Amino acid sequence: MNKYLKHVALALIISSTSLLTVTAVHADDDDPIAKAIKARQSGFQLYSFYAGQLFAMAKGEQEYNADLASAMADNLVAVTSLSNGIMWLPGSDNEARKGDTRAKPGIWAADSNVGEKSQALKDAALAVSMVAGDGLDALRGEIGAVGDACKGCHDDFRAKDF
Amino acid sequence: MKDSKQDRELPGYELQRVWDPAIRVWHWLLVITVTSGWLLGEFRSFSIMQWHMYAGYATGVLLLLRLVWGLVGPAPVRFRSLAVTPSRLFEYSGKMFRREPSGVAGHNPIGALSVILMLLLLSLQVLTGLFSEDDALFFDGPLANAVAGSTRTTITSIHGILSELILIVVILHVTAILFYLIWKRENLVKAMFTGWKVVRK
Repeated sequence: MNKYLKHVALALIISSTSLLTVTAVHADDDDPIAKAIKARQSGFQLYSFYAGQLFAMAKGEQEYNADLASAMADNLVAVTSLSNGIMWLPGSDNEARKGDTRAKPGIWAADSNVGEKSQALKDAALAVSMVAGDGLDALRGEIGAVGDACKGCHDDFRAKDF
Repeated sequence: MKDSKQDRELPGYELQRVWDPAIRVWHWLLVITVTSGWLLGEFRSFSIMQWHMYAGYATGVLLLLRLVWGLVGPAPVRFRSLAVTPSRLFEYSGKMFRREPSGVAGHNPIGALSVILMLLLLSLQVLTGLFSEDDALFFDGPLANAVAGSTRTTITSIHGILSELILIVVILHVTAILFYLIWKRENLVKAMFTGWKVVRK
């Protein structure tokens, strides 16, 4: 009887643990805030990848290629032009979702100038895209503004750590 | 400068050439590289980021020179003279607030501790800078790719914390010099320019 009870207890523990795990994973999939955070982080990965190619060329770490530079700059314009407002749900800041995001609550403040910061990046990306294929010097002349636009927003709205 | 009235009239003290020319030039060069490096880092933008790195390299070279000078240089700058014993520290703390120069032919015990602290912090700052990255400005230190991304992020935040600690010790350093100038009536800035320092006979 004792042995039987042990088996029952073990079975209960195993099944309830796996059920909880499945529920947790499922909940994460269904959580609109988790999905939005994931989506916007993926968006920034794209910014970083396209801009990274341009910066590598500007800094001489990668050989300048007019076609590639042009394409990357156009991509940057494209991804920074997307209407991603829906990804910035209230309650998806780094205080409400500690460990998931570095987005500071200030983004959602009434007097937030996050729109201007976002516009600065769009303008800088557009300026680069007009000259990126015209040679390394032309690229170098405009790419710095992209970095400064990234920093301008990170300084105010992105926490250093998760 | 050697014959300034105030220095001559201090009984029991004499002027000695404590700081050699190399360490004086070294000190003021370090002031320039650390100040500019700190400001260029704090107020960084894409176009000035490379100058922040040059300031870091220059500081690194100066620290290596200091390492050599600490081993083979004149007595007051040797690392051996920076070695502070608790008894000396205790003795100095007891008479620190007397309104008279320390009279030490080199760094006083608390000053020696602060020198060690500054050299350590600056060395760590140059080292961490080599592995740091700024992912907004797309700038990274020359060795940043030698470590994993998560390590780089950690090192970069340490680099940021160190810059705040360095600001604090520099403010302490300047405060101590003002304390000496106003309270203890000894001009240590002039001594670091001329090399002549009041020493107890």
